Amino acid sequence: MDYYTDAIFRALELIITLDSEVIQIVTTSLKISISSTFIASIISIPLAIVIARNKFKTKKFINIILNTLLSLPTVVVGIFVYSLISRRGIMGELDLLFTPTGIIFGQVLLIIPLITALIRNVIFSMDEKLYKTAVSMGASRRQKFKLLISEARYGIIGAVIAGFGRVLGEIGVSMMLGGNIKGVTRTITTAMSLETNKGRFAFALALGIILLSLSFLINLITYYLQEGKNYARR
Amino acid sequence: MQEDKIIELKNIEKICGDRKILNIDNFAVLKNKFNFIIGGNGSGKTSLLNILCLVDQDYQGHLYYKGQKINKEQQNLELRRKFSVIWQDPYLYRGDVFYNIALPLKLRNINQNLINKKVKEIAARLEIQNLLEQSAHTLSGGERQKTSIARALITEPEILFVDEATTNLDEESIQFFNSHFADLVTDEMTVVMVSHDRRQIKQLADQITLLKNGEIKTTKKLNNFNFELFGAGIESPIVEIV
Repeated sequence: MDYYTDAIFRALELIITLDSEVIQIVTTSLKISISSTFIASIISIPLAIVIARNKFKTKKFINIILNTLLSLPTVVVGIFVYSLISRRGIMGELDLLFTPTGIIFGQVLLIIPLITALIRNVIFSMDEKLYKTAVSMGASRRQKFKLLISEARYGIIGAVIAGFGRVLGEIGVSMMLGGNIKGVTRTITTAMSLETNKGRFAFALALGIILLSLSFLINLITYYLQEGKNYARR
Repeated sequence: MQEDKIIELKNIEKICGDRKILNIDNFAVLKNKFNFIIGGNGSGKTSLLNILCLVDQDYQGHLYYKGQKINKEQQNLELRRKFSVIWQDPYLYRGDVFYNIALPLKLRNINQNLINKKVKEIAARLEIQNLLEQSAHTLSGGERQKTSIARALITEPEILFVDEATTNLDEESIQFFNSHFADLVTDEMTVVMVSHDRRQIKQLADQITLLKNGEIKTTKKLNNFNFELFGAGIESPIVEIV
């Protein structure tokens, strides 16, 4: 039992004393996750609106593919992107393998389907009268788009946060494309895996507590955005 | 004397799935008049209104504004901004009542001081000045409709379209609508109104068009309109029963 209590106390000590190595790993993780979420959101928001609001022949097929990609294993994305950015890959000359950019590339591909599908559902479930009213008020196409984004903002933020949570907690892409290089591509999850194997249980536990706290915070924000006072008023 | 036609429809066909929901050879909206469109459920009243106010541009046939053909392929933004619509079940956007009433003016990039002045004026006329800071999603049905009327009138539209504005309202709100509506509309405004309310029709109508199964059965002036035709596809007006 001492093994566990000692590990927990040591882990809390590492967090409270702001251990430099822990801080560096968490910072790297957050930088990479925020970047990939930001890029994926820029692509996913308009893509979701196009899919939800337009009629086209391949719409059903695209929706099926999108839903399939929701459960995409991270290692599959890792292998796919690895084949693109490794030395012999078609993007090999860009030297992205084992860099933060390489991880971001993989994570963006990982969460685009998730964010797109969630926002598509939000837009799809919005009242049709929203568009009719916007047209009748004299809104231009751009103004209609802005009104739509504004009305769907809580759902959109919720989808983006869900994407952020997914990349923050994934390990497959980070490990395969980042290589777990200390101070460069070592993220919370890859460090936890490594440190546990090395027997530094308390260190891995400290990172685990931080990851869990971040996940809790993300879920708390998502809950308030989707189920909170503002959502109920809608 | 020949009356001015502000909007004209020619050979309009609207098809939904494999069903033709509108089939109109000719129809005209008279300028500066109250033009009523009546008919039973599913007769195509709202479909016709959607085409007239340019919300629906997916139809066969031609629409003319002051004699000029409207190109359905274009946004027709300038023309749409001359129109306003009061819907049966109005959609109010997230935000307070002030924001909702001011929205059409914001879309037209009107100066904020002028927006403030106009919102206060129209809110006072509709007796909702005390609701301006209230969230639009906390309003009652009557308050929502008053807000949407204020939003439609704030742009001083050339043509005001009204789609069964009182259908979902309680008697008090209907009374308010019927007693105030004529005063809210200016002489320069043309009104196209879809309604079931015989009292409204008798009080306001200049021209009445009866629709049945997507086709125009008759278009008459109020004096010449045979109200027996109400039996030909219109439910008993709820208001008179009340």
